[in-house]
Amino acid sequence: MSWSAELTEALGRANVITDPARLRTYECDGLTGYRVQPAMVVLPRSAAEVAAAVRVCARHGVPFVARGAGTGLSGGALPVADGIVISLQKLRRVVEVDPVNLRAVVEPGVTNLDISKAAAPYGLYYAPDPSSQQVCTIGGNVAENSGGAHCLKYGFTVNHVLAAEVVLADGTVTTLGGDSAQLPGYDLLGAFIGSEGTLGIVTQVTVRLLAKPAAVRTMVADFATVAGAGDAVTGIIAAGIVPAAVEMLDNLAIQAVAASTESVYTPDTVAALVVELDGPPDDVAEQFDEVQEICREHGCTKIMVAADAEQRRLIWTGRKAAFAAVGRISPDYFVQDGVVPRGRLAEVLGRIAAMADDAGIRVANVFHAGDGNLHPLVLYSEADGEHDRAERLSTEIAELCVELGGSLSGEHGIGADKACSMPRMFGEDDLATMLRLRTAFDPDGLCNPGKVFPTPRLCGERPGKYRPHPLEEAGVIERL
Amino acid sequence: MSTATTYRPATLAELRDALVDSAGERLAVAGTGSATAWGGEPVHDAVLDTTAMSGLISCNPTDLTVAVQAGMPFATLQETLAEHDQWVALDPARAGTVGGLVATADAGPVRHTFGSLRDSVIGVTVVLADATVARSGGYVIKNVAGYDLAKLFHGSLGTLGVLAEVVLRVRPRPAATATLAVPCDAATAFDLGGRLIHGSLEPVAVEWCDGTLLARFDGTSGGVEDRLRRARALAGSDATDAPADAWSVVADLVSGDDGDTVVRLGTAPDRTPELAALVAREAAAHAVDAAMTSSPFAGAHTVRLRGGSAAAHAAVVTALRTEQPAVTVCRWTDGLRAELPAWGEPPPAVAVLRAVKRAFDPDDRLGRGRFAPWF
Repeated sequence: MSWSAELTEALGRANVITDPARLRTYECDGLTGYRVQPAMVVLPRSAAEVAAAVRVCARHGVPFVARGAGTGLSGGALPVADGIVISLQKLRRVVEVDPVNLRAVVEPGVTNLDISKAAAPYGLYYAPDPSSQQVCTIGGNVAENSGGAHCLKYGFTVNHVLAAEVVLADGTVTTLGGDSAQLPGYDLLGAFIGSEGTLGIVTQVTVRLLAKPAAVRTMVADFATVAGAGDAVTGIIAAGIVPAAVEMLDNLAIQAVAASTESVYTPDTVAALVVELDGPPDDVAEQFDEVQEICREHGCTKIMVAADAEQRRLIWTGRKAAFAAVGRISPDYFVQDGVVPRGRLAEVLGRIAAMADDAGIRVANVFHAGDGNLHPLVLYSEADGEHDRAERLSTEIAELCVELGGSLSGEHGIGADKACSMPRMFGEDDLATMLRLRTAFDPDGLCNPGKVFPTPRLCGERPGKYRPHPLEEAGVIERL
Repeated sequence: MSTATTYRPATLAELRDALVDSAGERLAVAGTGSATAWGGEPVHDAVLDTTAMSGLISCNPTDLTVAVQAGMPFATLQETLAEHDQWVALDPARAGTVGGLVATADAGPVRHTFGSLRDSVIGVTVVLADATVARSGGYVIKNVAGYDLAKLFHGSLGTLGVLAEVVLRVRPRPAATATLAVPCDAATAFDLGGRLIHGSLEPVAVEWCDGTLLARFDGTSGGVEDRLRRARALAGSDATDAPADAWSVVADLVSGDDGDTVVRLGTAPDRTPELAALVAREAAAHAVDAAMTSSPFAGAHTVRLRGGSAAAHAAVVTALRTEQPAVTVCRWTDGLRAELPAWGEPPPAVAVLRAVKRAFDPDDRLGRGRFAPWF
């Protein structure tokens, strides 16, 4: 029997898509510039069916790509032409919320926000909150090690997952992690989270839940210069305060957001900081005053404190919708995700502005100022033939972040998008060592191939030779 | 083994050379030697001593990061960071090296909030058995580029490679800290701890140590005072404000003394009271003096056995393994190794553990036997 017939038999005709028109839905994720039509899409209804599908793939050497909501921004769920997509949209049960043990067990297709909704009756929530949390799924979050606005204080997906049931590349089902974080042996769960679907498919996740903080205070502080806003963040950190979130928007991003009628942002400010503190009321009140004082010391021109939950919601709606809002001021855009050491924020923003000027392309900046994770939005018009120039600028920005001692990606992943830039950040031995891990999990390379690692087919001549990391040149690190 | 060669590199280049020079030899990797007994006994021809690799690479308080050579004593790292009013959020009992604490996945009571070093390490440089030097992660606290090899080395007990350099995220030291102490049994402790958490009092650590609940609060001085007052009200009349050194009892219990057996294990949080009862019952049945300390909400427990025969210790540990197979023996009383396998039932993903070990150290020359009989 052919593999397609086997899959149809294993999952039932209703759970298999081969019609080209319907396959088109699956040809890209949130990185819409990359499109590949898969040979087939399967929609398993249980972990056992995921395993059955993977076993068929393993037997026939068919590559497979797992897919959640398809909101990823790095092409991590980009299909393989001769392979299948395994959609986890039908695995969307909240299996259990356990307030006593402060955890929830969910299937991979459950959205990030639905976990917090299920936990809310117990005064609990799930901390990582990517901007797409209303639609993105926990399975995708596990694959990408998703962050969000609040990860400066609370960490990433990897810090909040206790266990995962996974289907390995040969179709066997196993559990990584367990009831407690204190288990002997290599932290396979930690390595699996953030592996971008290349080590297996998660079919059930046990997440940690936190008690909702008793107090939350949020403000927007306007600044006349980006540097002033950056210095204020440095001042906040130097004062020993770890805000729940510190976000910065530059003027172009604010203009995009302000075009919405609900916006609470000042349209003509050069930069705005969103600072949120949460925790016990007395601690929050004291530090919130201190943060305002620090902002004033650094030349802030206006502070808007959210008076109630509704104003807080409007601040966050504006921030989280910033990517989409950019659509109001530009027909097309790329989102970048580079990270720089926090102390180099002003420098990187200056250089991005200069590069944008040189390229004749506008760049709006929305970013997590507390941890140096930038989200430059490279604005362009496909119709005006700006695509290639914008894409080049976008890649150069990511690689600039590496040059400044940072990373290609803070939370969106490498995927297909940045695989060719990996040699800018890692040497051959580094990548070869990572591949040993991949081989241990997936010796035949069937699990989401073409992602994370550069390949000649994918990158052509582009990856080139490794360039010394600037920290190496500075003698801070050495490569032998 | 006393005649075994010792390699003591001081730099990454010397470490790489040591792996080249020792080709064909089986190596035991050791820092301060405080975890030499954990798990199985490695068979080795030579010792790779990491303690000369103890330097500070870079300290970046503005970025909330620090990079060190893996052989730096953890206490030295904390002293360095204290100059900047910062710390790595970990309070282990052992005076180990930074690399040793990664390799043992060790942690102390603040694991309740901050986890273990897996949650604070943001970059590593490792040297593999074939002298390959590899990096993963980097110098920024948020980074998803490439696989996170640091996670694999967390809990690896010297069997995958040698940690050379470690980059960590740091946190500001709290302005104020206070501890509440409540004498109570494990069930009461679990209940009260749950009320502190659900009451949003945000204890940074909740530990039940040998009949006393300790809860630590960090924050601003006003905030800590307020929460301590509310916690005391919840806890009832037996609760007292404890001095900071109240926590030394946890470290003492976890460390143990010569002749003790010390084991650690993990369970779901709500199993804590039953585990405490099981320990007490088994200790009584085998005439052993047992003490237990737990971070109940992290589900992390340490049990110390004192007095009685090696056979009696073996019987108690075997009983614990029926509750949770994944028990790590960290200290062995004399004669216990002859009575008790180093590890119990393997975890479900043991086949993957084996495959990873084979991929990183195909000749099994690093820490051979440490995880026997699993691999």
